[in-house]
Amino acid sequence: MFSELIARFQRARERATPQVRRPFYIGVAVALGLGLLVLLGLLNTEYFFAAPDAFGDMATSQAIWGLKPSNLMMVLPLGAFLVVLARSFVGVSAFGLFTPMLITLAFLQVGPIMGPIVLSSAILVGMLAAPLLLKLRMTRVGFLGVLISVVVLVLAALQTFLGRELQVDAFPVVVVALVVERWGRLWEKDGPWVAAKTAFNTFFLAIVIQFVMVSHFALLLIEASPLLMPACMAVAIGILGRYRGLRLSEIGRFAPIWLERRRIAREGEEKILTRADTDEEFIAAWEKAPPLEGMWVINSREDLDPKGRRQVPQALPNSEAQFAPRSGASKRPMKHNAWIIRSPEDV
Amino acid sequence: MFMSLKRKWTGKKVDAQAIPVPTNPIDEILGINLRNSLIAKYNPRVAIERARDKVAAKVALEAAGISCTRTIAVIEDYGTLMRYKPSKEFPDAWAIKPARGSQGDGILLAVRREGDVWYKGSGTPLTEEDVINHLRKVVDGHFSGDAEPQDAALIEPLIVADPGLANLVPEGLPDLRVICLHDQPLMGMVRLPTNQSDGKANLHQGAIGAGVSLETGRITNALQKGKPITHHPDTGSRLVGFEIPKWDEVLYMASKCGPAVGLGYSGADIVLDENDGPLVLEVNAHPGIEIQNINLLGLKAQMHHAGEDFR
Repeated sequence: MFSELIARFQRARERATPQVRRPFYIGVAVALGLGLLVLLGLLNTEYFFAAPDAFGDMATSQAIWGLKPSNLMMVLPLGAFLVVLARSFVGVSAFGLFTPMLITLAFLQVGPIMGPIVLSSAILVGMLAAPLLLKLRMTRVGFLGVLISVVVLVLAALQTFLGRELQVDAFPVVVVALVVERWGRLWEKDGPWVAAKTAFNTFFLAIVIQFVMVSHFALLLIEASPLLMPACMAVAIGILGRYRGLRLSEIGRFAPIWLERRRIAREGEEKILTRADTDEEFIAAWEKAPPLEGMWVINSREDLDPKGRRQVPQALPNSEAQFAPRSGASKRPMKHNAWIIRSPEDV
Repeated sequence: MFMSLKRKWTGKKVDAQAIPVPTNPIDEILGINLRNSLIAKYNPRVAIERARDKVAAKVALEAAGISCTRTIAVIEDYGTLMRYKPSKEFPDAWAIKPARGSQGDGILLAVRREGDVWYKGSGTPLTEEDVINHLRKVVDGHFSGDAEPQDAALIEPLIVADPGLANLVPEGLPDLRVICLHDQPLMGMVRLPTNQSDGKANLHQGAIGAGVSLETGRITNALQKGKPITHHPDTGSRLVGFEIPKWDEVLYMASKCGPAVGLGYSGADIVLDENDGPLVLEVNAHPGIEIQNINLLGLKAQMHHAGEDFR
C-alpha cells in the first residue's frame, strides 16, 4: 500500500516542473512551521476535557494554558495573521472573513475539546433548523434573529444537561448564527457537499488557530511586551497582504493549463529531435519523391557536371483535351448542339 | 514582492514594453490575489457599485449606445409592489431579476402563459401569488448578498436565443462572456446550459464552459465540471469548431461595456437575441478566473500583450 503511495509521489515529483516545485516546497515549509506551533500549543495544554466551571473563579484559558483573560485580545493579531495566511497564500475557503478566528475565541473561553463540541452541536442544531425556517418565508433579519435564539437555546440546554456553566460570550453566539446562515445559503447555491467542506475548513482552521494562539511562542511574545505581538503581526500581515502570486490551491486548479503547455512544448521538441537525429531517413524519403518534371535533377556533385546532367522529359499538355467541349461551364446547352430528348421528362 | 515595494518607494518607472512576456506557464496564469489587486487598481468603488446594480448599469450602458434588454418595470419598494398587478402588466414570457443579485440567484423565468397562470421552463405553474411572493423576496434583499437590506426587482421580457446557439442546447439561454482590460478584449467563452444545470448558464451547476478564440470566433475547447468534452452531452451537437454567430459584433460591444460603466477590468455578459442580435445582460466588476481553464490560456499573459505592467 505504501509503496504504491510512494510511487505516486515519485511520479508526481517527476511530472512537476521547477516552477511548481518551488511553491510546493514553500507550502511544505509553512505547513511544518504551523505544525510545530500547533505541537507547542498541544504540549502547553494541561487539561483537555475540562469544562469551564471546573476551575472555580479562574478563567478557563488561564487555567488550561496560562492565558489571562485580559490577554485574549493580544492573541487576536496572531489569529488574523493565520487567517490571512490561509486565505491569500493557501487558498482555503471558509465562512466569512475572520469567522474562524472569532470561533477560536469561543474555543479559548470554553476549552480545547469542550469548545468544539459545544459550538459544533449548536451549529448542527442550527443547520437542522435552517431549512425549516427557510420555509416560513421570513425576512433575512428575522431569520438571523431566530437563529440567534436557537443557538442560545442549544447552549442553555447544554448547560442544564451538563449541569455546568459554559461561559460563552455574546460575541461567539452571533458568529455561530452567521455561520449557520452562510451554511444555509451555500447549501442552497452549491449543494451540501461544498457547504460541508467549507464548514469543515472553518472548524479545522479555528482549531489550528486555537493551538497556535496558546503555544509557548505566542505566550512568550505576549509576556515579553504587550507591544511586541501586535507590531510583529502588523508587519507580517502587511508583507503577506501584498502577496500577488498564485495561491497554493490555484496551482492544482490551473494544472490543466500548464500541463497542456508542457505537452505542446514537449511534442514540439520531439519533432525537431526526430528530424535532426534520423538524418538518413530524411534523405531516403527525399530520394523516393518523384523528380520534378522538366527540370534539371541534381542529387549529387556528379549531377552538376554538364555531361552528367539528367533532364526529365517535360510533360506536354494533353493535346486532345484542349479541343474537348467545355460542357458544364455554363448551365445553358452548347451552341450548335441539339437538345437530346429521349423521354417525356427531358421535355 | 520586495522589488515592487522598492520600485514604489524609489519611484522608478519601468517601461511596460521592456518587461518580457512570461514564458513560464505558471506565470501566465492570473491568480485570485493578482485579480483582486487589478480590480483595486482599475475598478473604482463607484463603478463597481454601478456594475453591481443592474438598473444603474443599464442606464450607463444605454447612455453609451450599447443595446441592452428591454425593461418592463423596476420595483423598488413595497408600495409599488402592493399596487403592482402582474396579470395586467406582464407579457407572456418574462424574467424577474434582483438588481443586485449575483451568480444568477433569484432569477425567475416564465416561458408561457395560460390565463393568469404562467409556466416555468420546467413546466411548473406560477400563479400571480407566487410571482408577488418572489418579487417580495427580491425587494426584501433575499438574493442580494449580505450588505443590502433592500433591493429592486427588474422585470424584463424573456430573451429568445439566436437559433444558431439555441440549437446547441436542450433548453435555456447560452451566454457569452468576454473579459476586457480597458477596451481590449482578452478572452472569451460561451456558457451553454445543460439538463444537469437545469437550463441555467451557471458553471457550478453543470453548465458547459466553452472557450472561444477571439480571432476566429470558433470554440476551441469545452469543459463541463472540469472535464474536457467535444460534444454537448444532451443534444449531441459538436461544440469544438462551432463558430459563434456575430462574434465580431459581440467583441466590439464587449470592448465598449467596461468604459461605459467605468470599469477598467471587466467581464461583459452578452446574449444573442433572435431579433435584436447581441444584447448586454450585465457587466461584471469581479469576473471569475475559471475562464483560463476553459480556454487553456493564461489571462496574465494576455494582459502582458495588452500592455499591462502589473504594478
